[in-house]
This record gives sequence, structure tokens and C-alpha cells, in this order.
Amino acid sequence: MLVIRPVRPADLPSLERLAGSATPRLTNLPAHRDRLEERIARSQRAFASDIDAPGDEHYIFVLEDLERGEVAGTATIRAQAGAREAYYTYRQETLIHASQQLDVRREVPTLALSHEVSDATLLCALSLDPRYKGTSAESLLRRARLMFISQYPERFADLLAMAFPGYLDGQGESPFWNSVGRHFFVRDYQEINYFAGVRSKSFVAEVMPQFPLYLALLTPQARAAIGREHPDHETAMNEMLAEGFLRSRHVDIFDAGPVIKGERERLASFRRAAWHPVRIRPAHALPDAEPAMIANQRLADFRCVVARYALSPTGQLMLSPEHAELLGVEEGRAVLAAPLALPGADADEPGYDEGEL
Amino acid sequence: MRMRPIVETDIDELQALARETGVGFTSLPDNREFLAARIASTVSAFEERTPVDQRLYFFVLEDEETGRLAGCCAIEGQVGRETPFYHYRLGTLAHSSVQLDLHRTIDTLFLSSDHTGDAEVASLFLRPEYRGGDPRHQRNGAMLSMMRWLFMAEFRDRFPEKVLAEMRGVFDERGRSPFWECLGSHFFPLDFDEADKLTGLGQKSFIGELMPKFPIYTPFLSEEARACIGQVHEHTRPALAMLKKQGLRWEGYIDIFDGGPTVEAYIDDVRGVRLSRRCRVEVKAGTLEATPRPRWLAATTGMAGFRAAWLGRGPDEQGVVTLDEGEARRLEVASGDTLRILDTEEEA
Repeated sequence: MLVIRPVRPADLPSLERLAGSATPRLTNLPAHRDRLEERIARSQRAFASDIDAPGDEHYIFVLEDLERGEVAGTATIRAQAGAREAYYTYRQETLIHASQQLDVRREVPTLALSHEVSDATLLCALSLDPRYKGTSAESLLRRARLMFISQYPERFADLLAMAFPGYLDGQGESPFWNSVGRHFFVRDYQEINYFAGVRSKSFVAEVMPQFPLYLALLTPQARAAIGREHPDHETAMNEMLAEGFLRSRHVDIFDAGPVIKGERERLASFRRAAWHPVRIRPAHALPDAEPAMIANQRLADFRCVVARYALSPTGQLMLSPEHAELLGVEEGRAVLAAPLALPGADADEPGYDEGEL
Repeated sequence: MRMRPIVETDIDELQALARETGVGFTSLPDNREFLAARIASTVSAFEERTPVDQRLYFFVLEDEETGRLAGCCAIEGQVGRETPFYHYRLGTLAHSSVQLDLHRTIDTLFLSSDHTGDAEVASLFLRPEYRGGDPRHQRNGAMLSMMRWLFMAEFRDRFPEKVLAEMRGVFDERGRSPFWECLGSHFFPLDFDEADKLTGLGQKSFIGELMPKFPIYTPFLSEEARACIGQVHEHTRPALAMLKKQGLRWEGYIDIFDGGPTVEAYIDDVRGVRLSRRCRVEVKAGTLEATPRPRWLAATTGMAGFRAAWLGRGPDEQGVVTLDEGEARRLEVASGDTLRILDTEEEA
């Protein structure tokens, strides 16, 4: 049995292990014990506080495998991407250079530093034990955060964003960093990424070139990496696009990984989530039904599991006693359910951003 | 040898000069119509019919014995008044962070029109056969370069505060500019020669329309392109040295196409402007002795019929300069007239 729950201090070693095994290493999840300990404490404060508007809160969740008795994954929500500091991205822009005299019109692509994503709620720092890759646990870990946000909308922004790790070559080098950031820092990508995670990414961003960059002056390898996710994250990207996220013009300032955005109201899990009273039935007596994410109605004791979306003719959600216990619900209490499968998840045409972000 | 304003009948000779100048010499394109317009503009400037901010003063070096033109040079009264005048300014941005224990300075090219309204000395060209060698041709290049300071000193009120000179940048053995290949070629659908030609013809609007308007961080340029920044073509080194001796300095401005340096100064600070003096002329019959190497440069004080030439000697303590008949004929002056004289070897 797998369950999503808020992080606890005792999860520290697991978190450290997951931070170390993330491919590629994540800026938002540095393998640094003291930093992780601080993050856990900060997450506990967020879950324990009364909050009516998004701010500097981080909510860290873990995926616990009860049979194995271990933590198999973690994921975070940052209520506001740039709450205390600005959240920096490069925005892909196109300038038109036209000359009547020469009768030419040229599109000149540039990257401009932007703080525009600062107000969005950021889904980040996801790391999953590789043994669970490709299972429903992966989707649960990624999307249980949406089930949480949907219950506590006042704590989060209307706009959600995710920054995917960018393309790295066979040696773990970022061609984009080597063509851009390296000139300004004389340090390699892994080193600066670790620093940004342990200290602050905006410290780094403040030293990045402040004027727009002309793509024509970057190496072809760097240009090819812009907006391209790390190969290990393609599945995750496709799932979030199916959820209703859109690719945006924004990319990461270090590795040019894509930033996707989603308006809450347009995301499948928000639109399809529904409250149902619980009816407890023995597991063998439950009818067959599609899998769904099912979450309880608690803040600090938030739980989310994958179970069958088995509804009685009167609209009650039928749960096994084991699932009911995991969620901490009794017969008659309400739970939030949303189908795990996404509409058009296999359609391979990704939506493309037409809006501002 | 003497300098005088160009006139309509010089058109054939001027075009022949233009053909000899070659790539990177934007101000003298081999285009008859354009050259004729330059001459007309000069004629009008010397007759003071053009407003001071639109004047072109184009001078030629004349070989009186053959009637050939040996070279030319020019002064633009003010640049950037009719069409924009662009440079890159090489600036420094500090990228510094205490937290990162980082302090770096990044060279950056900023697009600039800072020189709008300044005077420009330009278009200096001397035919190879008139460069040194024959003692008759000693210091022809120096005359071309320095007579302009005498002209500006004499007609100081026609000129603005500052003067600049654009120097030709670096080209490789195949005549290609590494700076252009790395930067300009991405933004202009032309090769260097075409772009250069249009600029020379004064058709510069495409530059403003197509060029990158945001600063360029030089680390994004190739090593070869960076090596061109502020460097001159080897043939341009003597001309640059001469301007520097007059007090012109490179302040970080470069040509947007080839990266060559633009040197500049306040006109009042230029050595030739500061040190040239007006002297009264006395003409003696026959031929007088002259310094073996030309040292005293003289220019007349009238706008119409302006002449300049080397003199065999300097003025006496009363400020009187004695000319022999040949010199007087060359400069078209008589006893009692005034000349502006510069001792080109006097320490500044």
C-alpha cells in the first residue's frame, strides 16, 4: 500500500537518499542534510499555519510504501515561486528586424531575463525511487499535489508552474550552461546547480547577464537545448501536458529546461475532482472500476492514495477498510476523488502556450 | 605638392583614387554619381552655402608638375545629422557576488550614437607612388593628415567641440573581417563588402533597422572576433600613430562592422589646433634654402581658394614668414598676406 503524506522529521535520511538519486540532480532538492532538515521544519510550519494567501510556504510530501516500510519518493509545492526573492527565468522572445531599404524581414530570437513566473505556485523537487518508475505511484506522487491545492485554494496561486530539468549531454554537462552561464561564473554546471540549491538561486541569477541574449551568438548545441527537457523527464512532461499544463516561453536560466504553466481551472484533476461520502466495504466485495486518486479532507494529516473509483448507485465512494484507515476516514465522511487516467493522455500533440506566460 | 579643395573637374581623378582604395574604405566608394555629389557638397561648403552642421570639406593633394591627384582627405562638419551614426562602445559590466565569492568584469558592446554632432576627419588616401621614396614626396601623408588641423583651427567657429576618426579594422588574408563574420553576418543578409558599400554611399538606414539593439557580451563572440575589437588593419597603423600624436585617443568606440577603433579628441586639445599660429607673409625673389625634411606646414586663411603646403622654413621672432616665389605661387599668397603655420616637430 502506497500513500502520500506530509513530510516528517524522521524522513530526513530518506529525503537525503532521494536527493542524491535524482537524475539529474535537482536545484530544489540539494543532497545536503542541514538544508533538508531546514526544509522539513519549514514544511511542518506551513502545514501547521493558518494561511489565507500564498507566500513563502513550502509543502513537502513523501510517498510512503507501507509494506516495505520506506519512503519511496518526495515532491514539493512552493506556494509562491519567488516569495522572498525573485524567481528568474529566461523568456524566449522574437524581435523583428525589418529593413525597407533592403526589403528584408528577419526574426531575431532572444532570451530575456524575466521575473514573471515569481507569482506562480511552483510544483518542484520531485524525486522517485527508480523501482517505482512507470507505476501508478509515479502519477500519484506527481499529481497528489493537485489534490491538495484543490482543497486549499486560498494557500496557492491561480497559476501553477513546473520547471523541468533541462537537457544534459552524455557527460552530464549542460550545453546551454557551457555556452551562457559558464562565461560569467567560470564554474561547471553541477557545481553551480548545487550552490543554487544549498544557498540561493537568485544569488546566481543576479550575476547572470541582465541584457537579453541573441540566440545567434550561442553555440548550436546550446540553442538546441533551449526548452528541451532532460530525456528522463519526457514521460512526466507528457503527463503534465495531458493534465492541462502548457509549454511556455520561459526556460530555466541554468540549463534552459522548459517551464510549463497551468491555470488551475483548466487542469483535468481540478475539473474532475469530486467529493463523495465514504462507504466501507470489504476489499473482495468492491466492484471493478477505474483507478482514482483519493484524498482525505485534512491539512496537516493530508493523505492521498490510489484506489478504485467505485461508486454506489447513490453516489457513495466504496473504500476497503484498509484504504479507509490509511486515509483516516470513517463511513459517512467525505473524500475527494479524481480519475488517475487523463483525458487524451496518449494524444501526442502537446498544447502550446498562446498566452502571456 | 599642395592641398586644395576638390573641384568639379577632379571627378575622373577622384574616381581613379576610389578604385585604388579597396575594401574597408567606406567613405570613398567607386561610384561616379556618389563622388560627383561629394564634390558638389564640398563646393557648396567652401562657398559657405551649406549650414555648418551639414558641411563636407573634401581636400585633394595635387601634384602641380603633372596635374595628377596624389591623394585626398576630408572633414565632415558634423556626423549623424542626416543619417544615424552608430558605434559600439566597449564597456565593462561588473558581475559580482559576495555569496558566490565571485568578481568578474565582462566586456560588453553597447550600441551608441554618442558621436552625433561631432566633426570627423576621414577619407585619407595617398597613392602608393607618392608615399616617401622620392624626396619630393617626403611627408605627403603627414600633410594630408595634419592640414586638417590647420583648417579647423582657422575656421574654429564652423566646427563643434569634438572630432573623431574611424580607423579601418582587421581583415584576414582573404579580405574577410572576423568581427563581421561572428557578429554582423548574423543580422545582415549581406556580405561585408555589400554592407560596407551601402554605408559608404550613405545608405545607412538598414543598419539601424537590422542591427542588434541590446548590448553584446563579448564572451559570446569567437576568439578571433574578440581579437579584432579596437584593432586596426596593418596598413592603417601609420595613420593611427599620426592621429595619436595629435592627441586623439581611443575611448572604447569601435566600428559596428569590422570592430576597428574610433579615436577622438576635443578639437581645442588637438596639438595642431593648439600650436598653429598666424604669421605675416613676406615673399622673396628666387629660391630660398629649405629644411631637408619638411617641418613647417602652412595653410591659407581664406575659405575660398584655401591652400596648404610645406614651407622650407618657419617664421622669425616677429612672426613673419619668408616664402620664395615657388612657395608663394603654390599657396597663392603675396607679401602682406597671412598664413597659418604649424611647426610639426615642436614638442607639445
